[in-house]
Amino acid sequence: MGFFDELNPEKYDRQYKDRDLVKRIAGQFKPYRKGMLHISLLTVVMSLIGAILPIVAGRAIDFLNLENELLILLAIPGVVTFVGVSEWGLNWVRRSLTVRVLGNVVLGLRTRAFRAAAEHDLSFYDQFSSGRIVSRINSDTNDLSNLVVIVTDVASQVLQAVLLGVVLVNTEWKLSLILFSFLPVVFGIAIGFRRLARVVTKKGMQAMADVNAAIKETVSGIAIAKNFRQEMTIFDEFDTANRKSYRFNIQRGFVLSLIFPVLNAVVGIFTAILVYFGGLSAAAALVSAGAWYLFLLSLDRFLWPVMNLSAFWAQIQNGLSAAERVFALIDAEPAVVQSDRQPVEALKGEVRFEGVSFHYGENEPVLTDFSLTIQAGENLAFVGHTGSGKTSIARLIARFYEFQGGRILVGSRDIRTFDLQSYRRRLGIVSQVPFLFSGTVAENIRYAQPDVSNAEMLSLAKRIGDGDWLETLADGLETQVGERGGRLSMGQRQLVALMRVLVQRPAIFILDEATASIDPFTEWQIQQALHLILSEATSILIAHRLSTVKAADRIIVLEKGKIIEEGDHDGLLLKGGHYATLYNTYFRHQSLAYVEQVKELVSK
Amino acid sequence: MSALSAPAEFTLTRRASNRRNPVLWVLSHGLRHWWLVIIMVVGAYGNAQLAAYVPILTGRAFDLVQENAGAISAGLLTIALLIGGSQILRAVLQLGRNFGAEVIAQKVERDIRDELYVSLLGKSMTFHSLQPVGDTMARATNDVREVNFLFSPGVNLVVGSLLFLVMPIVFAPQYHWSLILTPLLYTVLYFFALRRYLKNLEPITDEVRETFGVMNTHLSEALDGVEVMKGAAQEDAEVKRFEENARRVRLANVRQGDLEARFVPLLMMAVAMGIGLFHSIFLYRQGLLQTGDVVAYMGLLLMLDFPTWTSIFAYSQISLGLAGARRILDLMNRETNLDQNEAGYAGEMRGEVEFRAVCFSYSEAEPTLEYVSFKVKPGQTVAIVGQTGSGKTSLMKLVNRTYDATGGQVLVDGTDVRDWNLAALRRQISIIEQDIFLFSRSIAENVAFGKPGAGSEVIETAARAAQADEFVQSFEKRYQTVIGERGVTLSGGQRQRIALARAFLTDPRILVLDDSTSAIDSATEDLIQRAIAAAARGRTTFIITHRLSQIRWADLIIVLRKGRIAAIGKHEELMATSEAYARIFRE
Repeated sequence: MGFFDELNPEKYDRQYKDRDLVKRIAGQFKPYRKGMLHISLLTVVMSLIGAILPIVAGRAIDFLNLENELLILLAIPGVVTFVGVSEWGLNWVRRSLTVRVLGNVVLGLRTRAFRAAAEHDLSFYDQFSSGRIVSRINSDTNDLSNLVVIVTDVASQVLQAVLLGVVLVNTEWKLSLILFSFLPVVFGIAIGFRRLARVVTKKGMQAMADVNAAIKETVSGIAIAKNFRQEMTIFDEFDTANRKSYRFNIQRGFVLSLIFPVLNAVVGIFTAILVYFGGLSAAAALVSAGAWYLFLLSLDRFLWPVMNLSAFWAQIQNGLSAAERVFALIDAEPAVVQSDRQPVEALKGEVRFEGVSFHYGENEPVLTDFSLTIQAGENLAFVGHTGSGKTSIARLIARFYEFQGGRILVGSRDIRTFDLQSYRRRLGIVSQVPFLFSGTVAENIRYAQPDVSNAEMLSLAKRIGDGDWLETLADGLETQVGERGGRLSMGQRQLVALMRVLVQRPAIFILDEATASIDPFTEWQIQQALHLILSEATSILIAHRLSTVKAADRIIVLEKGKIIEEGDHDGLLLKGGHYATLYNTYFRHQSLAYVEQVKELVSK
Repeated sequence: MSALSAPAEFTLTRRASNRRNPVLWVLSHGLRHWWLVIIMVVGAYGNAQLAAYVPILTGRAFDLVQENAGAISAGLLTIALLIGGSQILRAVLQLGRNFGAEVIAQKVERDIRDELYVSLLGKSMTFHSLQPVGDTMARATNDVREVNFLFSPGVNLVVGSLLFLVMPIVFAPQYHWSLILTPLLYTVLYFFALRRYLKNLEPITDEVRETFGVMNTHLSEALDGVEVMKGAAQEDAEVKRFEENARRVRLANVRQGDLEARFVPLLMMAVAMGIGLFHSIFLYRQGLLQTGDVVAYMGLLLMLDFPTWTSIFAYSQISLGLAGARRILDLMNRETNLDQNEAGYAGEMRGEVEFRAVCFSYSEAEPTLEYVSFKVKPGQTVAIVGQTGSGKTSLMKLVNRTYDATGGQVLVDGTDVRDWNLAALRRQISIIEQDIFLFSRSIAENVAFGKPGAGSEVIETAARAAQADEFVQSFEKRYQTVIGERGVTLSGGQRQRIALARAFLTDPRILVLDDSTSAIDSATEDLIQRAIAAAARGRTTFIITHRLSQIRWADLIIVLRKGRIAAIGKHEELMATSEAYARIFRE
């Protein structure tokens, strides 16, 4: 019905002009011009037919005394039935057509929006949470296409009202004036109630959120409350929230319960007025009884469009905002721009930064004039505090972000000339929180390399601690990992992510090492897998584990985007400089020496 | 509630509800507010009856004008006033119906949430450690609200619209007895058609919901994994997968649209209007009806419009509400089968723990623990090591009888845990879980949660022993800092130390610590080491840990693998006997 819809549209700053949006929305429907034409035609025909019904019913009263009994007995009920049945039939056809056209439009938009999202670089994902992108792809596309339904519905109702209005004015203009004078009153009441409902709803949202939060907390806290036998304390907290929720809902419920009674009373009074004045006119033979009846029947057909119109503008605005969000997603300019799309077949794993400068936001430089050469086959570890630029360097190599100055050469070729998909196939990337897609372990391992056979995977798995980790999975390679890999432990997820890289045999391996704590047995297996990869590829390691730093050929110490020290673990430690300080801050407690000293430490 | 009364039992005096099945349960709650039910039904009846007055009075006005027997104006005015007055009265009654239903709905929501919560508090620890919090939460918020909606608008509209079906049947015969036929026949056929429609609709709406759900989860997964997707150059494959899912959603939507488009009751309504018109004109021509009667009768038939449209919505609301009620009842009726054993042993605990060939499984199919045996002396520290899923956590939950062993025996101080008074057993055992839940209250209240009313000095001493004092002091409001307020969040390590401070206050004889936090820097690691060492002093302590240092210095190390003990002993022994163990200590 629409009256209660969009009571709480979010404020949203619009960038596109309404006219452009409407044009673009129309563009989406262009391929379905024929369908849209049929839908529009059907809408008009239905409005016409709908307007006929009260007119025929009104006429019927006048024709009741006609001579021709057969005619009056068959014609009038016949027309009424015919009108009703064709309304039903036409609506069926229209609805079926609409649902198909809209379905196609939404499908097309969704696919295009998702493709756009998939092609955006990661700076886009820093700006928009994935939740917001999901809602743009899945619900905003729907809201956009629903604009058509809103517009056709209101248009057909208005058209019908106008047709009826013309008939009414021609029948008796004075009665028509009375009838029309009701409309602004109903409109005013409807608008007023929408405002009121919006106020209570808005106020309520916050109160509701508080109450829900309190209920959530008390539900999550049950277990711990039981642990300490504090049931009564937590019950009191729950009870307060529950009562508050009740009080608030009663208030809100009262306002919402009021709307239809008030409207009904007003319509009742209007009916009374029409009965009175219509009756007088009929008695004075100004109008026929049938015409009087027509006026009474028409009242409803004017009020509904008016009610719906009160919500119309908000709905349209809402639909346009949704459209803008969808188009903004599709239109967003990629920050990463390639100058060429050269395929990358084989790649020498040498990486060279030449005077690279890079920042995320205007005023936060991460790298300035940064130069570094990583030899093919070298294992290079970056260490430094948070924000020193370790991760950014890795991300630039993966070409997830655009850099602002200098050059990056991979295998002596400019990184900007690559076809990105084909380039990234030569990279193996494991991020800090290894991400798995729902499906089996095997599917995840062959994610980047769909043609890898099970036998190959098994033989690789065997090389990691004799494949012991596969044995601890319920169904081995066929184990379901669950949504986002949730059914596997952190350690198992890391092993799968490393396996993914192992089967891929990349030229360059980029590892942002996890910080999560993992049981020592799995940890040992992860190290095994890691060493397998290190021996085969140029490796860029953002190291958090002592064993990884130690395994690196060269350690680069970063501070604020600058290289302040480099060398291997033993040499740097001996030197007693920056690395030694970092070691004492981040790595000392991972050493076996620390394990031996702990007993003394805690007894102090 | 004294500490020694059964801790897993918690009851408050509440009026009993009928929990036999969802319908009875919802009814027993709704009928508690019988006076509101009366208001609602009276309001609904009055609303429908007065709505019928409009066509009836209108018909009278037509007759008045047709008879043309003088004083028309006065007669019309009376009728108009009657219409206006009756509709104002109708509004009052409709408000009674709407608000009556609303109040019932809100009261029922409040009451069943209360009932659910009290029932949850009465459930055993076993229940709560098996029941996912998210699921419980959904029932306490969404499902409870669905039951609310069952009453308002659900029952409200069903009662309201049923009476609109009834009114034409009641009032039509006053014009001519045979006029009852059309509304009566329509009502009967309508219910058949509606039942069929709803039956056909159900699988389709399920399909719509399911396909959309699949599309949505896959989409958000793909976007969360965008780095992996791009890194593996799988954009095209993902787009294809998404399009496939979106296509299924479209198909389901089209199916639903097609079914909704041919809503048969609407067609029946058109036919009923035609037949009714034919019937009344026929009677008119026989001289059995007057013009006004025809007008009134047509008006009465038009009342059928409201139930025709509303019922779909109203009935689906009711079925959703009942589904919600069923889920809530399922949760409340679930049995938890640990007996309290109030007559059991309730002495001071020394802290000796022994497992004798203990077996345990959650389900018949997969054993979680098999033939686990070991013995721990009072005051010893035991490190439990193993991969995720090796049974570490389950092992510890047998000690305080969160679960009972399915085979073998668990003994504390030489007494089978099943022979202990459950309250006494649990009072002296404290478990610090892996995910530490802190309430959105002050730090002081969180520390003193197990001992309400503890003085601030005691609280601070405990916090100091747990190495938490330092970071607490760094907050502006110190111990009065409310967690979660103004962005105050605590790291895993800090939460763990708050939980340890709790344990210092309650001073259990056995402490179980599920320690899987990782320290990012060495200084924090030092603090955690000190806190755990202090907590372990003077009590039997089990630490489920990944820390080599905890393992290295434990009095006993238990290595679990797939539910069995793979290795057990002191560090030196294991270094000699287990290669798997030895290699984790090799650099």
